[in-house]
Amino acid sequence: MEESEDVPKDFIKLKSEKLSVDEVSELVVSPSCGAVSLFIGTTRNNFKGRKVIHLEYEAYSSMAETEIKKICRDVRQKWPSVKHIAVHHRLGVVPITEASVIIAVSSPHRVESLEAVTYCINTLKASVPIWKKEIYEDEYSWKENKECFWANSEK
Amino acid sequence: AVSVLYFARSAELAGLRCETLSVPREITSLQLWEEIVKVHPRLAVIRDQVIFAVRQEYVLLGDQVLVLQPGDEVAIIPPISGG
Repeated sequence: MEESEDVPKDFIKLKSEKLSVDEVSELVVSPSCGAVSLFIGTTRNNFKGRKVIHLEYEAYSSMAETEIKKICRDVRQKWPSVKHIAVHHRLGVVPITEASVIIAVSSPHRVESLEAVTYCINTLKASVPIWKKEIYEDEYSWKENKECFWANSEK
Repeated sequence: AVSVLYFARSAELAGLRCETLSVPREITSLQLWEEIVKVHPRLAVIRDQVIFAVRQEYVLLGDQVLVLQPGDEVAIIPPISGG
């Protein structure tokens, strides 16, 4: 592999198809890195005792990609040794146990990629314009992340 | 005229996802909200839970003066729940 092919890259994708952990990991693997850290957000079948049938996601796609790019830029400022960052988020219907988001980060040593992945998911939940609807048996509910500063705190 | 985009709960209450709206070139974000609610009164119930994204930058509903150009995107942003 030529040196120029290993420049740090951000891989950001919003898609309605099933996400692949293999695909996302392979995007960030790098010969100069000894660590790849991953976060996978999966769909739970319950919320406060109610049975969840599936989740549905929608996004302000152009702005969501821009906000995720900003997160990547912040990651590189805080952890300069981070090599590649991949954020894949699914849109539309996500069945139970399937992934709604996969974040992967590579770095030479493990501390930076582990911390960067945590930062990515926490910041994504606070700033990226994506919305989740929980579908129950008899109704549905638009969810609100506690990280979202303009949501009313839970009454 | 600006493009107004509706998402999530706001799209359900307004009954649509996007439309063109004529508004004054300079307007506070709160006044912009009030113009939109005139067209879609059902949106009033979520006033305390939404912010705007104007040209893809978040803006609170309040006294901030917006300078809008024709074709600018203004999005209604209910509380987010990505991830």
